Amino acid sequence: MHHKLEVQNLSAWFDEKQVLKDVSISFPSNNVTAIIGPSGCGKTTFIRCLNRMHELVPGARVQGKVLLDGRDVYKDMDAMEVRRKVGMVFQKPNPFPNMSIFENVVAGLKLLGVRDKKILSDKVESKLREVGLWEEVKDDLKKSGTMLSGGQQQRLCIARALAVDPEVLLMDEPTSSLDPASTAKIESLIRELKEKTTIVIITHNVQQAARISDFTGFLYLGSLVEFGETKKIFESPKNPLTERYVTGRFG
Amino acid sequence: MKEQEYVEKINALLLEMNEVLVTLGDYVEDVLNEKRGGLLPLTTELCRAAQMKEEKVLEICIEALIRFQPFAGDLRTIATSMKVAYHLSRICRYLRNITEIAEEFSLTDCETGSVLSLFREAEDMVQVALNSYLQRDLKTAKDLIKADESIDQRYREILRNLATGIYSGTCILFNGLSARIIERMADHACYLANETIYLVTGERRIID
Repeated sequence: MHHKLEVQNLSAWFDEKQVLKDVSISFPSNNVTAIIGPSGCGKTTFIRCLNRMHELVPGARVQGKVLLDGRDVYKDMDAMEVRRKVGMVFQKPNPFPNMSIFENVVAGLKLLGVRDKKILSDKVESKLREVGLWEEVKDDLKKSGTMLSGGQQQRLCIARALAVDPEVLLMDEPTSSLDPASTAKIESLIRELKEKTTIVIITHNVQQAARISDFTGFLYLGSLVEFGETKKIFESPKNPLTERYVTGRFG
Repeated sequence: MKEQEYVEKINALLLEMNEVLVTLGDYVEDVLNEKRGGLLPLTTELCRAAQMKEEKVLEICIEALIRFQPFAGDLRTIATSMKVAYHLSRICRYLRNITEIAEEFSLTDCETGSVLSLFREAEDMVQVALNSYLQRDLKTAKDLIKADESIDQRYREILRNLATGIYSGTCILFNGLSARIIERMADHACYLANETIYLVTGERRIID
């Protein structure tokens, strides 16, 4: 099995406070890997280390390796290249408020210098189709992205992340602010996207992790307690801490 | 649903399910005891009651799956409870089948000898298997599966004896069919033990 992304002995700090402790995970290509764990266990910090967003926080530092196809994202690549190849979708939909739907989708491409209108138009249509939004917004491409519903906005953000053809897509609780119908659409989309992309998703919803992921890692107090096939983690976890967490008997 | 509330509710439901399983086990035990002195008698009401309990276990399992989407130990408890309820109910139906065969041949008395002895061995297996499940006793469950070979051997021996004329008349048929049913009953005791193994270890094994 090929591993698109490999994390080796990753530790992270905010000033003196250590929030990740020696975490090692290999993310299989074209699979969905869920990272679960209670609030404050380091899930978001972990995912932000994968595309070098953690280093944007003053006082934050990282130790260990994050390898994308064998290249160390901290030593062998610049931050821009990392963030183009490792896209991110956030907890709350965050379309750029002063941009239209069209401009939102191509924002990343324009930053990369793509100016050809035909290329941009084609990309908008293909990515909006990919996220199942095209039919809903094709006549409103010039309208602001913030006019859309929460679920549509999140799909727009996914389209924006996909527009630069990332090899890995990081999703930080992408459905936590959405209703069940919108959540179902995003989950279905995630399952489709893994054909082209390697996906890492953070979720505090264990049922969601079980529904959509192929592999699951359980983080607790900054340490990786258990990692394995999702079926195994949710059917017969090896570690009693994992057992207690997935059965809701934690703390 | 808050974490604490979730745990309390699923615990309550799993406890209720366990109580129903225990009652179902008691019914099966009662039916087995009825046949200890001879294979013919049977209170059919007990079998019907056992079947109702099997349905009740299924009902609770489905409710638990819908309401809680359980995982790990809870999920295995639910999955195995469904199968344990089925096996117990099936054992009851086997016992009823023995009576039905006797009725079919209008048998009021029949020398059952070694078949009755086979029955007692299988009966012990059912009770041990059920206890291994209720007590999550892995070792007993594993030992029980190994013991099934002895039942199979005795079953084959009974068939050979039937063929060589130790018994006569309709009793041959009754004993032959009963022995087959009892051998199957012992298989279900092994399936019960196999559920214990899965419940405790999470490893599923296929047994013949």
